[in-house]
Amino acid sequence: MRPEDIVFATVMLPLLGAALAFCAKLLPKGRVASVVEYTGALVGLGLPPLVLILLFPVVFSGQSVSGVVGQWFVGIGITFRFDALAWLVNILGFTIGTAAWVYSLGAGPKGPAFTGVFLIQTAALCATIMTTDLFNLFVCLEIMGITSYVLIPTSRKAGATLASFSYLMVSASAMVFFLLGTYGFYRLTGALSYEGISNGLQAISSSDTVLSIVSLALLVSAIAIRVAVMPLYGWLPDAHALAPHAVSAVLSGVLIKTPLFALSRILFLFPAGMQVGELMGIAGGVTAVLGVVIALSQEDAKRLLAYHSISQIGYVVAAWGMAISIGVDSPAGTSLMVAAFLHAFYHALFKGLLFLSIGTTVDVAKERNVYILRDSIGKLRAAGERIPVTFMCFVIGALAISATPPLNGFVSKTAITYAMKGSLHYYLLSAAAVGTVASFIKLSRIYWPTGKRGRLHPELGILPGSSANPQTKAYGLVARLTAQSVLAVLCIAGGLAAPHILTIIGTLMSRGGTNIAVPPILYSTDNLLKTGVTTLGGILLFFVATSKIGSRVLHTIRTRPRSFQGLFVSFSLGTAVLAAFLVVGKI
Amino acid sequence: MVERALLLCLLLIGFWGVVAKKNIIKKIFGLNILNAAAVMLFILEGNRIGSEAPILESGLAQVVDPIPQALMLTAIVIGVCVTALALALAVHLYQITGSFDIETIRERIQDET
Repeated sequence: MRPEDIVFATVMLPLLGAALAFCAKLLPKGRVASVVEYTGALVGLGLPPLVLILLFPVVFSGQSVSGVVGQWFVGIGITFRFDALAWLVNILGFTIGTAAWVYSLGAGPKGPAFTGVFLIQTAALCATIMTTDLFNLFVCLEIMGITSYVLIPTSRKAGATLASFSYLMVSASAMVFFLLGTYGFYRLTGALSYEGISNGLQAISSSDTVLSIVSLALLVSAIAIRVAVMPLYGWLPDAHALAPHAVSAVLSGVLIKTPLFALSRILFLFPAGMQVGELMGIAGGVTAVLGVVIALSQEDAKRLLAYHSISQIGYVVAAWGMAISIGVDSPAGTSLMVAAFLHAFYHALFKGLLFLSIGTTVDVAKERNVYILRDSIGKLRAAGERIPVTFMCFVIGALAISATPPLNGFVSKTAITYAMKGSLHYYLLSAAAVGTVASFIKLSRIYWPTGKRGRLHPELGILPGSSANPQTKAYGLVARLTAQSVLAVLCIAGGLAAPHILTIIGTLMSRGGTNIAVPPILYSTDNLLKTGVTTLGGILLFFVATSKIGSRVLHTIRTRPRSFQGLFVSFSLGTAVLAAFLVVGKI
Repeated sequence: MVERALLLCLLLIGFWGVVAKKNIIKKIFGLNILNAAAVMLFILEGNRIGSEAPILESGLAQVVDPIPQALMLTAIVIGVCVTALALALAVHLYQITGSFDIETIRERIQDET
């Protein structure tokens, strides 16, 4: 079997699965419909990983599969490229996607329509990372966007609909500007493939340089909205906090990272790409700090996690931007890129885990306020969970995001800071790490016992499928706990097997091994000392934050005015700053 | 040049509608105007090398560049999808809050939770 024949299976199989799921929607509800729906999910989420295994030898040896869709002529057809980057992002997408879908069987939203839309989203992200055609990227981003606008309000919360609407408006407007950027490049070069545009740009006159820069700025800021870098993050907290738990896990695990890595394909080739990387890297560092400060101030458990997604994507963007600004082909650039991807992947695992376990907890407790909710272990037990699996999952996730060895978060954060020692980013990210520890101590308070033993909780929700609720089908609780446990195990395994994983990703990212990335030394005294200091700093910060002045400051941050117009103002300002930065860099 | 200036005006009107209008239905209008401006810009671009419709029959020279037209067909379809979805969300918001005003909607949803 030639690799050219099977690369499209990663896009087509989820689409086929979606078609099956929609067929199931047409059938009358019952056993047959369920079988068709689950077959669709199996085809869409279960088979593509097998294809990826078949493709592994190809990408591992540094080759890539590229060509034109449908055997059209080069220059007219849509070009694509399946390489190590695409392979890695696919693995990320299918791991989190499968876990989230299994969780949704227990927690909802259930049903063939949800499965169908979910699978289309998966297909769209596989296509996004494979395409090397500007207009096709626009289409893929729009499909990804449209599916998330549909999935966010399925939690049936009023706020979720508003969040989805705001996200739609800002993102769809930004995509029009993306289209204008595409127009600029088409006008200058007459090409749409990245390669064609980059070749064409070398021949343009200096008077056209400004147009090419403005076009690039438009493309980058439209994508930056999806990535939710400061200051373009405004839509994310509500959308991620109010979506169904399974959807939140995918949104913050996969959907904010895929556009970022797809953007790197453009920046590798285009002339001003390095400056864009530089500016985005700084924005990423700032995002990491500001995100965690706002997260610390939140009282809604899931919104706290959503702000942490912003903060953690800041880590990824900082490393990613720095890698691009120093050139990904240099050894230092490659190690930064490896660290960026590793953190993106590991963040997806532990943030997915946190969203799912906190989701189970707040479903049971029917209370999301971090300041009110207490004794969740007891509540979960009363709701039918005999062994505190959810609590253990939360602890693993919280320790991983706080970078405690030997969990995966420690590995990826160390890999990032190791590679950027001494720069401004290093200090920003170290500060963010302290805040992360503090805010997860705050969040863990929802599990602290209240001291009143044996209190019954008649007002609580009961998990479907638990022994306390024998009427419902048994698979509900099992599905939730399986998804959580698998992610928890992956978090631990990702930490323990770190040297191997770093070598594999390093080889993949260095494209055939001409400049193998330097693997970071993980368990040096320095790193362990830094972890200790960070943890102590976090505990200290937690006490400062719970003091009288601290809570007043946090209250001010939490209740800061946020408006619909603000989203657009920040988008316009962001684009203008980026364009100005690039123009100044050119002259 | 006049065409481009007019399209810029159209673009700005659309953007202003999305940002400044309080009524969410008018915001959706704005989004459509914004989209239409981008579509027409592409079509104008294709018009630079000819003016005939790109349907190949004998005796036709000077056809427009067909690629922008093909792209814009796709963009229009996407625009329709987004509009339909935005309207569905708007109706849902109206059912929950009884208002189309974005500020009122925000306040009423906050009061609920």
